[in-house]
Amino acid sequence: MRRIPVLRMGLQARLLLIAAVVLGACLGTVGWVLDRSFHGAMLAGAEEQLRTVAYGLLGAAKERDGGLVFDTELGEPRLSQPDSGLYAYVDAAGGAAIWRSPSMVASGDIAGRLPLPRRPAPGESFFGIAESADVNSAAERFVLAYTVIWEAVGGIEMTFWVLADSHPYRRQIAAFRRNIAIGLASAAAIFVAIQFAALRWGLTPLRRMADRIRDLEAGARTDIGQDYPRELFGLARNLNRFIAYEKANRERYRRAMDDLAHSLKTPLAVLKNAMRELNGQQAGVFDEQVQRMETTVAHQLSRAAAVRTAMPTDSIAVLPVAARIARALARAYAEKPIKVELAERPAGGKSHLTVRVDERDLMEMLGNLIENGFKYTRTRVRITATCPGPGSVQIAIEDDGDGIVPDKRQLVLRRGARADTATAGQGIGLAVVLELAEVYDGRLQIGDSDLGGAALRLDLPTDTG
Amino acid sequence: MRLLIVEDETLLAAQIDKFLREADFVVDVASDGEEGLYYAREYGYDAAVLDLGLPKLDGIGLIEILRREENTVPVLILTARGDWRDKVTGLEAGADDYLTKPFHMEELLARLKVLIRRAAGYASAVIEQGPLRLDTLRKEVRVEGAPVELTAFEYRMLEYLAMNPSRVVSKAELTDRLYEQDFDRDSNVIEVFIGRLRRKLDPDGRLKPIRTIRGQGYRFVLAPSQESTG
Repeated sequence: MRRIPVLRMGLQARLLLIAAVVLGACLGTVGWVLDRSFHGAMLAGAEEQLRTVAYGLLGAAKERDGGLVFDTELGEPRLSQPDSGLYAYVDAAGGAAIWRSPSMVASGDIAGRLPLPRRPAPGESFFGIAESADVNSAAERFVLAYTVIWEAVGGIEMTFWVLADSHPYRRQIAAFRRNIAIGLASAAAIFVAIQFAALRWGLTPLRRMADRIRDLEAGARTDIGQDYPRELFGLARNLNRFIAYEKANRERYRRAMDDLAHSLKTPLAVLKNAMRELNGQQAGVFDEQVQRMETTVAHQLSRAAAVRTAMPTDSIAVLPVAARIARALARAYAEKPIKVELAERPAGGKSHLTVRVDERDLMEMLGNLIENGFKYTRTRVRITATCPGPGSVQIAIEDDGDGIVPDKRQLVLRRGARADTATAGQGIGLAVVLELAEVYDGRLQIGDSDLGGAALRLDLPTDTG
Repeated sequence: MRLLIVEDETLLAAQIDKFLREADFVVDVASDGEEGLYYAREYGYDAAVLDLGLPKLDGIGLIEILRREENTVPVLILTARGDWRDKVTGLEAGADDYLTKPFHMEELLARLKVLIRRAAGYASAVIEQGPLRLDTLRKEVRVEGAPVELTAFEYRMLEYLAMNPSRVVSKAELTDRLYEQDFDRDSNVIEVFIGRLRRKLDPDGRLKPIRTIRGQGYRFVLAPSQESTG
């Protein structure tokens, strides 16, 4: 089943993403509103300015000889200054120019046509934006038109046009936008940084829990602790309880298996010995059945006891366990001059190779294998732990005995091999090792050793990485 | 040879007892750890068979106490669990061998013999002391290659002496190891048997394998003999 990448995102990344989206939307809206308001205010300001100029012109207009003349003092110096960016002219409804401001001297493009689609009705004014008629000049201008009927000059309808280059305004707007952008971006950056720090701090307990669960899996801890905030406390407590319960359950189960083994095997021992007294065909039947029971008990119990549980097992260093067993066995095989060689090649600076196997099961497997080595060797037993690949540790137990011939190899590993078809002590032992190994997804192979005897190679899982 | 069996399962203990007696051992049976400890402290044994799961004091605890008290009796542990942790712990505590239940009596006997021999410092089942050759498996005795016919008791006595060479073995010790507890210690039966053994092993008085150390006991001394025919 494929998972969508977003589902794999960490909590912190998710929260940061959400914060970033919300922040982007908010700051964007704020920026847009500010921009619009400023833009509107600029336009209103421009209109107001042009209107003032228009009214100034109206005030400066004087009737003379049935026409209009303007004071040289126009109240606005830019009107007198050529190409100053502020222009004004007055024309009659028919289009005949009545007056032009001195600033228009060089700007021949303005009078050619109406800067606005239509002139306003008498008594009304109109404000708008006009493109320059001159293709060479990209000028954009604000235009205010104001139409009056001048009674004193024969009731003539005339329109006052005031035009101003929009550049200065545009420049102000651009500067404003730049400032807003810088300001909002800084705010966003600061906000994101604070949010990031807050998230890290806020998610610390979760991270701690995750770290401890990892340690738990690695066998470095037995619980996940209790120092969590209120919201996580219940979860942590329940998890701890679950872990403890699981462990206790496992122990109880083990003990039950032990007791079962004990209470079955002792009567079997009694039966087996009692049968020595029997003779004839009956004895054969009994003996065979008891033998079968013995094999079944040995097999099924060791298998049942090794059921892997949901909780991860501890990591155990292989070689110290092997050394301990070999030392103990050397005592039991004191009459045999056996030289035990132990070696391992741990990777990545670790002191020992470790496996993720229950300690008891590891002892069970190594015990049977090393005992096998002690039993069949002449003088040497070599135990080597290596790391053949990631996630796996191989323990090789080699001896200089006669080895196991290829035909017999499958037989000694056969599940539930009857004791009478295999060498007593060997068949069951190795089959138990194989079954235990399989519980842990490991395996057992039988091969030849350069020492001359058998090489039993057990692969077990280790921490990946 | 005297053995101590500590096993709480009475039927099994009785079977072991019977079997080992038939194999010419003197056997004491204790049914719990404390009783076992009492016996082990009170009497000298040539080997002990301990069940690990014992009432009152478990097998491991019993071995630990014995070893702490410098009791070096060879110990064979019986485990019902077949659990390696038990075996290793037992061996580490000072046991010398282990056997998983259910077992064959013959195997128990063989292991015990190995333990006793090993404790005496012999690696092989055949003890060769100068001209004397003692096959502990076949219970066969030869002197200078010639078979010697011994009664069961004579054989046990010779085996015990041979297992403790160059050491003075007191009459009391011999009585202890070769007879049941209620044996009359004042009788001179030991002297009688030593006399018979000497005559059978050394009819012409050449080898003198058993020396009497006056007031102390007997010593089995048989230096590699030049007269040995091999």
